[in-house]
Amino acid sequence: MNVKSCMKRNVVSVHAGTSIREAAALLVKMHVGTLPIVDDDEKPVGVIGMRDLLTLELPDFVTFLADVDFVHDFGAVEETHPPARTLNKAVKTLMKPAIIVKEDCGLLRAYALMLQHNLHDMPVVDKDGKLVGIASRVDIGAAILSSWPRAEK
Amino acid sequence: MNFVPAILSTFIFFGSLILIFSEKLHRSITAIAGAALMVALGGIFGFYTEEAALEAIDFNTLGLLLGMMILVAMLEPTGFFQYLAVLAARSSKGSPMRLFILLGVITTFLSMFLDNVTTVVLIAPVTILICEIMGISALPFLVSEALLSNTGGVATLVGDPPNVLIGSAAGLSFNDFLIHSLPIVLASWAGALFLLRYLFRKELSKRPRGVKAVMRLNPAETLNEPLVARRILVVLGGAVLFFFVHHALHISPSLIALSAAAVALVWVQPDIHELLRRIEWSVLIFFGALFVMVGGLEHAGVMEAIVGLLERASGVPPVLFGVGLIWIVAALSAVVDNVPITIALIPVIRGLGESGMNVAPLWWALAFGAGFGGSGTIIGSTANIIVTTLSEKTRTPITSKIWNRRGLPVMLITCAIASILYTIVYDWF
Repeated sequence: MNVKSCMKRNVVSVHAGTSIREAAALLVKMHVGTLPIVDDDEKPVGVIGMRDLLTLELPDFVTFLADVDFVHDFGAVEETHPPARTLNKAVKTLMKPAIIVKEDCGLLRAYALMLQHNLHDMPVVDKDGKLVGIASRVDIGAAILSSWPRAEK
Repeated sequence: MNFVPAILSTFIFFGSLILIFSEKLHRSITAIAGAALMVALGGIFGFYTEEAALEAIDFNTLGLLLGMMILVAMLEPTGFFQYLAVLAARSSKGSPMRLFILLGVITTFLSMFLDNVTTVVLIAPVTILICEIMGISALPFLVSEALLSNTGGVATLVGDPPNVLIGSAAGLSFNDFLIHSLPIVLASWAGALFLLRYLFRKELSKRPRGVKAVMRLNPAETLNEPLVARRILVVLGGAVLFFFVHHALHISPSLIALSAAAVALVWVQPDIHELLRRIEWSVLIFFGALFVMVGGLEHAGVMEAIVGLLERASGVPPVLFGVGLIWIVAALSAVVDNVPITIALIPVIRGLGESGMNVAPLWWALAFGAGFGGSGTIIGSTANIIVTTLSEKTRTPITSKIWNRRGLPVMLITCAIASILYTIVYDWF
């Protein structure tokens, strides 16, 4: 089995010039966690994920704390939202390099890449490098598990 | 003096300093490459041997640093630093100015006994958290924590790597530092704190929005392992007590630090692999390699030549010589790491002492210059670099423009106060 057999084909992508506000609205509307960013030839140039956007709400300093369990109320952070000038910036200012796989990529190779780069979704391209789908950890994982032999009773 | 070894070794040393300054190569990599090159060329040109290189390493300094690093690495996961910061936040009752002073005092006190870098690494993230919850900018707090820990660390033998080096080389005890350095540092520190309060007066007079949330933080919840924290603090306290009497007992500070680390390790029995990963090995390697490199300079006769040049300037009044040393070392430490500067100047001062000059006051000048100079620029001390890097994860990143307007004045005022007091108490050193 390869990635092509388990990926989602109705992938939503944006261009590098799309504003952060629009990208966020799209994530909300489609209820997805990752948006591939493509050029005019539909080739992926990067990705923007839920986490990159949430950093604007709660900056990354949290990861440096030994423990956040003792914080029950984030006080002023709860009412602080990113200012308009940040939201009007293009997504390319926040985008991360795209780790992509080709359609014929094996499931274990795709899963290994996801593990290594700590990804939740991976854009899939055809042999010309054009975006044709996106595979999530669940898509790939479920495809792998489905090949397990049934338990003998 | 043979010119070829002198030129070669000087070239290696200054080449390394330039590489470290330009950040083209990591300082530890630069130091190892420079040390290897120094020993290799020393062997070929006959001015330096492997035995001499090993002898050049000050194991007392490395042992003291390693021992303290192990203790802090054990204290870190207990949440003790978060505990102190949250306590400060609650006692400030939502006043940014009060929080500023409390966190400043805590950071200074910790950095007197722990490495500045460690202190800042541990206190800065929780500072950002508290500021975010209150809804105020963390920038004044982060800048001040780095500057005050740079300043406070100069007060004790173990507070600052240059002091460890100077103490070990000059045979100065923990109490020598308390008698000679602490009072001058306290005055300079107070000057720095008042100046920072003035420079940040606008940011600190803002009314915070999230006071209620800060008051809801419970210090008891911040301690992950209260029992472990208590044990390590008992051991640290014991180590400090031994520091007070190490000179009288004829035991080296490194033996005390390593023994304390051993006691704590046996008492707490942490996961040793995980613990050792948190030790700053790159710092220890940097020190070791620098010792080897500067040893090469010394064996090539460069230090003697500098001592010879300085002796000609012996017409200069000794007080002026000392004050001049404070400012020259401070200026150098602002642009290059203060550790190589200190390691390189130690043999020069020792050489001046051997030629009959009274160098006791010069050791203190070196300590003040190296310690206070680091405040001048972002790259002047590792603590500055750390708060700057951390601030990039907040809404208000620190820029070099900001540092020039806040850090540089602090360097100038601490050096000025130290110079004035140095002149007044000169005969007493």
